[in-house]
Amino acid sequence: MDRRGFLKATAAAGALGGLGSGRLASPALAQGAAARTLRFVPQANLANFDPVWGTQYVVRNAGALVWDTLYGVDDKLEPQRQMVEGEEVSQDGLTWTFRLRPGLKFHDGEPVLAKDVVASLNRWSARDSMGQMIRAIQNEVAAVDDRTFVWKLKSPYPKMKFALGKTNSPFGIVMPERIAKTDPFSQITEYVGSGPMRFKRDEWVPGAKAVFEKFAGYVPRDEPGNWLAGGKRMLVDRVEWVIMPDTATASAALQNGEVDWWENPISDIIPTLKRNRNIAVDIADPLGNIGVFRMNHLHPPFNDVRARRAILMATSQEDYMAAIVGDDAALWKPLPSFFTPNTPLYTEAGGEIMKGPRRLDEAKRLLQESGYKGEPIVMLVAQDQPITKAQGDVAADMLKKIGVNVDYVATDWGTVGQRRASKALPSQGGWHIFFTWFGGADCINPAPNNGVRAGGDTAWWGWPNSPECEALRNEWFAAPDLAAEKAVMARYNKALMDFAIYNPTGFFLAYQAWRKNVSGVVKGPLPFFWGVSKS
Amino acid sequence: MFAYILRRLIATIPVMLVVAAVVFMMVYASGNPAALLAGDQATPEDIARIEHALGYDRPKIQQFVEWLWRVMQGDLGTSVFTNLPVTTMIAQRIEPTVSLMLVTLVLSVGVAVPMGVVAAWKAGTWIDRAIMVIAVLGFSVPVFVVGYILAWVFALQLDWFPVQGYTPLSEGFIPFISNLILPAIALGGVYIALIARITRATMLEVLQQDYVRTARAKGVGQREILFVHALKNAAIPIVTVIGIGIALLIGGAVVTESVFAIPGLGRLTVDAILRRDFPVIQGVVLMFSFVYVIINLLIDLSYSLFDPRIRY
Amino acid sequence: MSASTIEVPQGDAPQGRVAVAAPMPDVLPPMRRIGGVVGFLRRNPTIAVGGFLLLLMIGVAVFAPFLGTVDPTALSPARRTREPSAMYWFGTDMLGRDVYSRVLYGARVSLIVGFSVALIASVIGLAIGLVSGFVRWLDWFVMRVMDGLMSIPPILLAIALAAATRGSVQNVIFAITVAEIPRVARLVRGVVLSLREQPYVDAAITTGTRVPVIMWRHILPNTLAPMTVQATYICASAMIVEAILSFIGAGTPPTTPSWGNIMAEGRALWQVKPYIVFFPAIFLSITVLAVNLLGDGLRDMLDPRMAKRV
Repeated sequence: MDRRGFLKATAAAGALGGLGSGRLASPALAQGAAARTLRFVPQANLANFDPVWGTQYVVRNAGALVWDTLYGVDDKLEPQRQMVEGEEVSQDGLTWTFRLRPGLKFHDGEPVLAKDVVASLNRWSARDSMGQMIRAIQNEVAAVDDRTFVWKLKSPYPKMKFALGKTNSPFGIVMPERIAKTDPFSQITEYVGSGPMRFKRDEWVPGAKAVFEKFAGYVPRDEPGNWLAGGKRMLVDRVEWVIMPDTATASAALQNGEVDWWENPISDIIPTLKRNRNIAVDIADPLGNIGVFRMNHLHPPFNDVRARRAILMATSQEDYMAAIVGDDAALWKPLPSFFTPNTPLYTEAGGEIMKGPRRLDEAKRLLQESGYKGEPIVMLVAQDQPITKAQGDVAADMLKKIGVNVDYVATDWGTVGQRRASKALPSQGGWHIFFTWFGGADCINPAPNNGVRAGGDTAWWGWPNSPECEALRNEWFAAPDLAAEKAVMARYNKALMDFAIYNPTGFFLAYQAWRKNVSGVVKGPLPFFWGVSKS
Repeated sequence: MFAYILRRLIATIPVMLVVAAVVFMMVYASGNPAALLAGDQATPEDIARIEHALGYDRPKIQQFVEWLWRVMQGDLGTSVFTNLPVTTMIAQRIEPTVSLMLVTLVLSVGVAVPMGVVAAWKAGTWIDRAIMVIAVLGFSVPVFVVGYILAWVFALQLDWFPVQGYTPLSEGFIPFISNLILPAIALGGVYIALIARITRATMLEVLQQDYVRTARAKGVGQREILFVHALKNAAIPIVTVIGIGIALLIGGAVVTESVFAIPGLGRLTVDAILRRDFPVIQGVVLMFSFVYVIINLLIDLSYSLFDPRIRY
Repeated sequence: MSASTIEVPQGDAPQGRVAVAAPMPDVLPPMRRIGGVVGFLRRNPTIAVGGFLLLLMIGVAVFAPFLGTVDPTALSPARRTREPSAMYWFGTDMLGRDVYSRVLYGARVSLIVGFSVALIASVIGLAIGLVSGFVRWLDWFVMRVMDGLMSIPPILLAIALAAATRGSVQNVIFAITVAEIPRVARLVRGVVLSLREQPYVDAAITTGTRVPVIMWRHILPNTLAPMTVQATYICASAMIVEAILSFIGAGTPPTTPSWGNIMAEGRALWQVKPYIVFFPAIFLSITVLAVNLLGDGLRDMLDPRMAKRV
């Protein structure tokens, strides 16, 4: 019996009054109802709820509860059928025919039809980078009958199932046709999906609370649930997301039993949580995260590969990682690579520049060779994200050491999002450096990995332009099997390193923590609520 | 009376217009959220499209006038992030904030007025000094420091109160109040200091008046003199300060709500400001200012309660 | 017998009596009269204590580099979150920076923000108040603008302004100043309006003395006292608002060690490493306390009539 339980018992005996009683009388919910409600502290506020329009991880995570996907990756990152019962690819690889499994139903009671899927895919493919690739080579996507649709392509796209089942956002969710017809650049206003939970819009208080309720009409697949694949069986009736902007408050609430599950406790608090007998702690996502120090390839000095390589040469990932994850060495790994460690395609080829003792003098010289003469370097650092802030603070220190005149622009994530889109000169509203991080799941291969795209204007912020890197990327897309993929990857990673497309600041893991009366929590790139129960 | 109220209400219009203009200008000066909305993979064209869809590419004056026109019709617009009407978002958040403020108000007045009265009564003694030291500390220790200390001691160590959150009154008074007591104490610090000081000062003044001396000479008890005769006459400045202090409360609530994770208007405001959610910022600041103006009107009107000579 | 009743005249001048009735929190008992600075300080113990603490903080700020500090921004991730020790007097923070050095240097930001806001808000507020009090046709307009600004809760206004401009000590000073100006302007305007009714000012006006001369001779000297008092309170409140802004994430840039920033960064670890928040909190509280005490003391000394207000 814990302290509170003891007090409760005492109170029941009528022995306690006064100040304490308020605390003790508070759980108004009956025992059963409390056990059917899972209270979860997400990583961030659910400020909007359109997983195609809003690409934040938190929106995706909530979206996975409400909307179902055609395919879903399992913990081996293999796409498995989810809404799809079966698919057929023509010999030439140009025509994909999909058949939906029976019994799919939207939360408003309507059946899921092929036309809904087609409209949803059209909206998704306008916003997703893999979707855009498919869109570029498609002839049409069309419904054949209520449960069948085809996707006709001009050239084969072997990664189709992965594109439709991947976890990185925007992911391929299915919504009713009338909603899916919303402009992809405007938010949807109705949150009707066919997933295992229904969104309680009337209880949604952005910045404070989001509530999901079990959808009785959901028919899970027969296979056991496995990430986005298999049967998504809900064992609780209600999932309440409690938004807590303050980590100190969140940790206190978990310790006091006011919430059940906390998605992202900071590592410094972990020893305290571990000491609490009622709390379990584990790695949240084995695929982890990659810290990103992004440079703008358009403007001096970073339009010169020597300046970019100077940064890689000076970077001590150990410092960045200590700042992000704290003292726990088990939580991070050096990453002389742009891809996720412990995945099949991982390679460190060409990563020598990031290994061994740091060569600050050499970096300084290389930077000068590139023509840098002490101009202010505009560095955007979002203060409201601990990961970007930690990276920015370490980078400021490191850059100072190699003679860079840093203009540290302290701002919020929203402004970074805005300003990094500017190609203007850094002195005129543009930028030289910003920081972010990629989920490991997004870097398992080149397809979802935004950071390594090098098509100039079509590339991600920073606009690196390297035909050589792009050619290798396309070579990977065309690779027929794993061995061939691996061979390309080694050359690809080396080219990216030589080009210093961005500066990876390390690979790090994060924790999650939950009360021990909760069971079934698994590790994954997003919190999976199916299979989780509470006693 | 009604003519007076009407006059006062009309007088608030220019004030509110100024507020609206100020809020509108400063928020728009800081850029727009289109790029943030567009997400990681958007192109500049996508961003331009979103800007256009939201109307951020039109002349500022036009945007201001249109916005004002809608506000006058009770439409505060739609949050660019949540896509919910701002009025809905405010409505969702109003109960926790109002509850927090009311509890703080009751608590502060309940503590501070007796403090001030006693200090005035015992003027110059160590009791007076002690009370005034507490008051000046209340002004000097930041609200979040008080909040964290309270949470640590009373929620984490002693486990008397919940650490965070809010329970509506509809779920029972005890859970409601136990969630609000720590935030109210933290938030009340400055307010208590303010009210205690004004109470002491006015009471000292009143206690010198002839009628108090007369009452004393007639043998009226000390307690009655203090709390009935004197306090009633000291009420006007005290009530005025309570009104002025509402602005302090609103400001403090922003921080307190963050520390105690109370889903109120303060947190809504901070979130919106940091995210540049213009319609929400405009709506909330406008509303807070309106409330402030109205409360001060009510306080002016309440003067006639305390002093029958005042008539409107 | 205490100071607050000692000098109350027993005559029939209620105004005069009210005036000296409440020399507010003379927190410490006054001593017998002695001349000179020492005597002044002993007669005004509130000023003495406040002034001493404030001087101490100014000393800390000015001499921070010579007080055993290291570079307050130097990172050392390998030595992060060390508890206070002989090596790190106040411990180290999550990036391995020395909290002692940061707190000492942080005094600079708080004091600069506090003093600058007090000074700028006073000067601008004075100007606006004077203009408003003299130029009657402008008065209505100016006062509506001031009312409008005043009806926005100051912290809210400062947060919004700081978020809009962002990221430097100057901008924080600007944001807080804007929120404080109306208070000074109203005060000055009130003094001007009441002085205009005074016979000697009235006489000066009718005899054709130019307005600037009237302002200089009659108005300014009379506004100085209440304004000085007001300025100290503004200074104290500005320091707190600065800390709140940083705490919320809309304040001084994180590269600048300020007390608000140190607390904001430490608050995530507040449960496990409370000292990171604790030390700057104490310094901030003491400094604000010092300025408040100084303000209380000055008010009692300069303008006994104000003692009845807060």
